This record gives sequence, structure tokens and C-alpha cells, in this order.
Amino acid sequence: MTSSSRTSKLPTGNATPTPSPPRTKSAGLLTSLRLDTYSGLYLAVILVLVFTVLLPDTFGTASNARVIASSASISGILTLGVAVSMAAGMFDISLAANMTFSIGLLGALLTKTDLPWPVAVLLTVAAGALIGMVNAAIIIRLGVQPIVATLGMSSVLAAGVFWVADGKSALLDKVPASFTDAGTATIATIPITVYYLAAVALVLWFVLEHTPFGRYLYAVGSNAQAAKLAGVKVVRVQAISLMIAGTLAAVAGVVLTMQLGSASFGAGAAYLLPAFAATFLGSTQVIPGRFNVRGTIVALYLLAIAVKGLELQLPDLPWIKDLVEGLVLIVAVGITARAIRQRGTR
Amino acid sequence: MNAPAGKPRLELSAVSKTFEGTRVLHDVSMRIAPGEVHALMGQNGSGKSTLIKILAGFYKADPGAGVVVDGRPRTLGDPEDIHQAGVRFVHQDLGLVPALSVVDNLALGHGYTTGFGARIAWRRQREAAAAALSAVGHELDVRRTVDELHPVERTAVAIARALQSARGEMSVLVLDEPTATMSKSDVRRLLSIINAVRRQGVGVLYVSHHLEEIFEIADRVSVLVDGHRVATERCSDLDLRSLVDLMTGGVVDAPERPKLEPKSAPGERLLSLEKLNGAEIAGLDLHVGSGEIVGVAGIAGSGREELCSLIFGTRPREGRVTVRGRELPGARPDKAFALGLALVPANRLRDGLVAGLNVRENMNLTTVRWLVRHGRIHPGEDRRQAAKIGTRVSLKAPSLEAPIETLSGGNQQKVVLGKCLQTDPGVLLLDEPTQGVDVVAKAEIHHLIDTAASQGAAVLVCSSDETELERLCDRVIVLRYGRVVTEFRGAGIQSRRLVRSSLGLDSEKDTEGAAGNDL
Repeated sequence: MTSSSRTSKLPTGNATPTPSPPRTKSAGLLTSLRLDTYSGLYLAVILVLVFTVLLPDTFGTASNARVIASSASISGILTLGVAVSMAAGMFDISLAANMTFSIGLLGALLTKTDLPWPVAVLLTVAAGALIGMVNAAIIIRLGVQPIVATLGMSSVLAAGVFWVADGKSALLDKVPASFTDAGTATIATIPITVYYLAAVALVLWFVLEHTPFGRYLYAVGSNAQAAKLAGVKVVRVQAISLMIAGTLAAVAGVVLTMQLGSASFGAGAAYLLPAFAATFLGSTQVIPGRFNVRGTIVALYLLAIAVKGLELQLPDLPWIKDLVEGLVLIVAVGITARAIRQRGTR
Repeated sequence: MNAPAGKPRLELSAVSKTFEGTRVLHDVSMRIAPGEVHALMGQNGSGKSTLIKILAGFYKADPGAGVVVDGRPRTLGDPEDIHQAGVRFVHQDLGLVPALSVVDNLALGHGYTTGFGARIAWRRQREAAAAALSAVGHELDVRRTVDELHPVERTAVAIARALQSARGEMSVLVLDEPTATMSKSDVRRLLSIINAVRRQGVGVLYVSHHLEEIFEIADRVSVLVDGHRVATERCSDLDLRSLVDLMTGGVVDAPERPKLEPKSAPGERLLSLEKLNGAEIAGLDLHVGSGEIVGVAGIAGSGREELCSLIFGTRPREGRVTVRGRELPGARPDKAFALGLALVPANRLRDGLVAGLNVRENMNLTTVRWLVRHGRIHPGEDRRQAAKIGTRVSLKAPSLEAPIETLSGGNQQKVVLGKCLQTDPGVLLLDEPTQGVDVVAKAEIHHLIDTAASQGAAVLVCSSDETELERLCDRVIVLRYGRVVTEFRGAGIQSRRLVRSSLGLDSEKDTEGAAGNDL
């Protein structure tokens, strides 16, 4: 946005003996379309057009658009959590387990206690943040690698949710209707969950791109040693990023529960891979090479549109979602790795 | 020493290398005879390591260079071809796997002997390992892991592995600074290992900073100065003094020290080190005053390399570090900035820069907190501040938004320095401030350091480039085995004396020099 005008020249002033020659990059059509940074957005538009033409009765409908938007919102909240942790270089694979746990915890709080539902929601979200803190303590204090620590935490949480929810889904029929309304209402024909995602995205976008904390986050994720020598409190930044991620995983669990009207047991697991696929794909968009909020949102919807369109087009192939998400993850990481290699050999 | 005889095993001819318009090697040629130990000497930045890296194929030489191994021309810059020719390298880091045993480390280069069912035949493997080690005249328990070994034993394993991987066809062994971290008795043992290798007819190219051992082991020595081979002499025709003269010749006698004004005394003490201890440094006391530039010289392993990180608190230390009378706790670099201490680390790619951030973001990383207006980083302030410091350090970059990797080494270093200067530090720690930087940028960086000092900063410069210390410093301490061996002041700071003193030569004469007398 305001800070990323890529064409601005360094105001060299008169103290510089040899000012750099102005870059002669022709501003052709391709450049003005910004294909390098917004390819995903264009692809999403093309996919929408193609599927609408192919499937005017199923894909090209307002209700289908609402379904896509609403389900992508829940995975989007989790995905932003993944993006924040990845930006700090913390590979947190316990986020899906955290989401599953939050659903189970919320279900238990609503069915086994008399707490008003807003309190139960707040407690659940706090528990998610706490799980992030525990992850941070394990990674930072004990020096366990993030992926190993969070793999272990995933299993611990799986055990925990079994204990909390007795290993089954909970029907929330006694909970006031306002609870499910908060997950199913529409405002101006747009599902309310889209507003939740928008709010989360807006806050994170601001934090990541316009505050010192965001700057530190990227610095730590890229080169923790140099960040430390520049005076950044690396440990604190890493811990906060894991806490934010844990919080968002819990929020995703809460919103899903509101939308379904029941605490579905084990529902978070299916969100793990798409979240990582969208996060890595997102790092090739808008600000290439960085896990950024806008890119993640673009990737999220691109993936959702592609998967939904293919599912409708090829109803006999129930595995198409897994295939697409898996391939996207691999290709996106491949693109990132290649970009890093090219940077290194310059 | 026996004269080199027979057909040369290695012939390098007309090797030149240009980095970004700066020529660092000029038509260097050399030949190594069978069984000869040929030493390659030169100060830091003289082009030794560039030459070795070209031979190893890491770098491509400028056109016109050639290499012939055992009479057969080979492709310079092709690691495979050089390997095929039987040329082996043992670099300073040795390339061993610390957690594995000697047997495994030797087998990694050579392959395992397997028995029935592809099971590793451990007994035969151990015997093979012991045989490989005895080929370099060394015996040790091959079941021990490498991290339990002495430095010299590790080097023996690395050399045995190199010898074994050539399957008896080793033509040339290149040893790059093998003794940098060794004690004197270890060096003796290493020299006997090298003798065992040379007796097999292998030509040895030996790169080292330590002058004494050259005379014990090498037949001939080639000296590089500023990328030129200035001499190739038999060691028997040289002595320590003439060798040092060759290494420093021509460059040292023109000290240009544009001192701003002869200061009577440094100002108030800004940085104090009391009984500082680290892995190498032992009980160092040092005080640096306002406006003073203090240099630290010393060879690899003398403690010079760790001093800045010890002070800054990124390596475990004992002793007190105080900045303006306030103590800096260990392991708290974030506190260091608050006290007015800034560090330009030696390895800018690893420690100085964040590759994922652009030029502006790197410039403002430490000070970004100051740019917050109404809860967010003010984009205009962000750009203005980066542009301002960019101008101050005469940064040449395509744009402030350019990826940091697109800048040349000199300009990257200016970004690191600019980042530090922005904090307006009372104490500036500089570790190898101009390593891998072109001549023009070097002069500019030196000027910036002068300016910082003249504005009242206390500056500590650790450098392996003695001419740099001569150019910059009001006072230079020389470290050896973690202790201060000499201190030079003012006109007594001459790179030749620094080199001698770093190597432990002529300490009495140096002390005279320190008092201001000329040699």
C-alpha cells in the first residue's frame, strides 16, 4: 500500500558521488497489470468465469458464491494463523489440532456448564492462546524444533479433546439461538463469517505491514540471528506470533461451531493441509517472498474457487479436493524454494 | 631442504580474477613438484583464498587462466575435473561430521564395505579406517566420534579421508589454514602427518598465517601481495624477517593517516572491559574513550574474532562490560542498543542483514520504533529516514525498495553501518568493517568511521587487515593466545609491526616502536 511503491528512486542527494543510473524498465502492459504479484487474483477471476460458463446452474449462482465465501472464511481465519506463525519462521502444525480442541472445549463448556455462551467463547479463545504460549515455551525454552514440538502438541491436544468431549460431537440444542445466529446470519446478503475473516485480516494486515512488530516478525522469520544483533527481542516476537496463531485457530473453531450449531468432533483436522497450501501459495502473491495477509487472502479464495468448481464439474471424483490442495502445496513451496535459490546465487 | 625435482604435479598459469570490476588476482602462476610442500603466504585480502577457491572450482577465473595436473591440462573452474585429477582439499572447517565415529567419517567419503545381506562389515571397516590413518602416520581409536578428538586428530582424519578418496592417485593436497586453532605441540604432530603424505610423492599446497611452521615444513614459499605473486623463494634462502618484508613489502611504507587533529587525550571513558573472558579471550582489560578509535589486531584464534560478540553479549562471557558507567548484562543485545552500543558484525550476510527485508527495512530495523505516529509506522518518515542515512553513508542502490541481495558487498556493508549509525551510538563496535568490500567503498567506510569518532563516539575496530588499523586507529592492541601482547599508539602503528607482533616476533623491538621510536 502506501509503503510499497516499488518504483521510488533513492533520493541520492548531492553527497553521493555517482548516483545510480535510472532503471530503464519499460512500463508495458504486462508491468501495469502486475502479473508478477497479482497472478492469483487474475487466475481466480478466470476460474470464476470458466466455471460459471461450464456450470451456470450449480457454480454460477449466488448461493454457491455464499457457500464458497462462508466456508473459506473459517479456513481463512486458521490460514491467517498459519501465515503469522510462518512469517516468524515457526512451523506450527498443531494449529488444526488446536482448532479441533477448541471446538471440543466450547462444546463441553456449552453443554456441561451453565456459562453464558459469550463467556464460553472467550474462555475457548483464551485456551487457544494458552496453547500457543505452551508451544512457544517448548520451542524456545527447551530448544525443540518448531515442527517437532507442534507435532507432539497435536497428539497431546488430540488426547485432550477426547477427554474433554468424550470423543463425540455435541449437539448444542439448548444453547440460545443467538449463538448459531452469530455464525449463520447474513448482513447485506453476505454471510457473517465473511465479516469475521475481513476483521481478522484487516487487523493482521495492519499489524504486519504497518507496525514495528510486523517488521520484527519478518526479520525474525528471515534471519533471527541478524534480527537479534539489530536489537530485536527475538524470543518475544516468536512467542507472540505463536500466541496469535493459537488464538486464531481457536477463533476458527468457535466460528465453525457457531455455523454448524454443533461441536463437531475432530472437525479441525481437515483444515490443516488447505491452510498450509493457501499460506505458501499466498507467499507468492502481492508481496512475493513474504507470508503476507493480502496474498494469503487471494490464495485462499483462489484455492476455494478452484476446489469447489472442480468438485461440481467432476462429481464422480471425491478425491479431487485432496489432490488439488496437495499439488498446490507442493508447487507453491517449490516456487518459493526456487526464488530463494535464485536470490542466493545472485 | 631438498630442491624440487621432477615433472611438476600442479601448474597454475596466468590466474586472474575480477570481482565487480575490482581485480583481486593478477596473472598468478605457480608450480608444485612431486613431494614438495609449497607454502602460499600473504596477508588477509592478498588473494590466497580466492586462488584456492578458483582451483577448487568455487569461482571461475578470468579468461586466460590454465591448470595442468601431472602434465595433463584440466578445466579450471570445474570441480569434477579437478577432483578427477587427484587434487584434494582440506579446508579449515575440515568438513567432518562431528557426531559420527572416525570409521563413519572415513567411510562417508569412500563407501562402506558390506557383507552378507548388505550389512556393514564393521570389523573390516575398522581395519580399513585404521589403515587409512596409518597411511598418514597416525594412530587413534577409530570408534571414537570426531567431536571427542583433538583438533590435530580431526585434521589427521580429514587428510586420511582425502588421501583415501583419491585411491592412491592423489596428485596435490591443498591444506587451507590447517593450524589456525592448534596448539604448538599439535602443530608438530600435524607436520609429521604432512611429511608422511609428501613421501608418497604428493605435492602439498600449504596455506597458513603462522610463519614459524613454514620454515619447518615447506620447501618453497610463494608470497601474494594485493593479488600479485611478488616472490617464490626456497625457504632455505629466507628468514623470518625477509619473509615478513616480502608479505608487507611496498604497501606499508605509505601510511596515509588523515588525522583530523592530533588529540591530546581521549575524552571520557565510554566503554570499559574488565577481566573479560571468553572461549579464547583471557582476562582482557580495555578502556575506550570518547572520540578514540582503538584497533584490535591478531591472527585467527588469537581472540580477535570473538571480541566484538563477547562485548555485545552474543557469546557467553565472564567479566564486566560497562558503557558510560552502566553495566551491560550478557546475552541481551537489545539492552546494548539502549545503552548506546552498536555492532557491525563480521559476517554481514549471516549476522548483519536480513535477506527477506528490503534496503529500507534493513536500514530502519533497529530504529523502526521511533517512526511510529498514531500507532503505525509513518510511511513517509520511514522512507525519509532511510533516504537520509543512505545519503550519509553514500549508498548506491537501485532503490530503497530493492531486495538487499541486489546490492554489492560494499553497499550492503554501508547498510549495516547505516543501521548502526542511526541509533546514534556512543560506542561503535566494528568487526572486520571492510571485509569483502571494494577499494572505493572501503575508503568511504573509513571516512564514516573517522567522522563518527570525531563526533564523540568511542570506536573499537577488530580487523585482520593491518593496513586498515594503521589507517584508522589512534591506538592498537595486539592479541595473541587471548592476551594483549603489545599496544601501539599514534605514529607507532605500522602494519608491518602489527603483523610481526601478531605472529609473536620481535616483541622487544615492537615495544620500542610502541614508545614512538622508528625502526
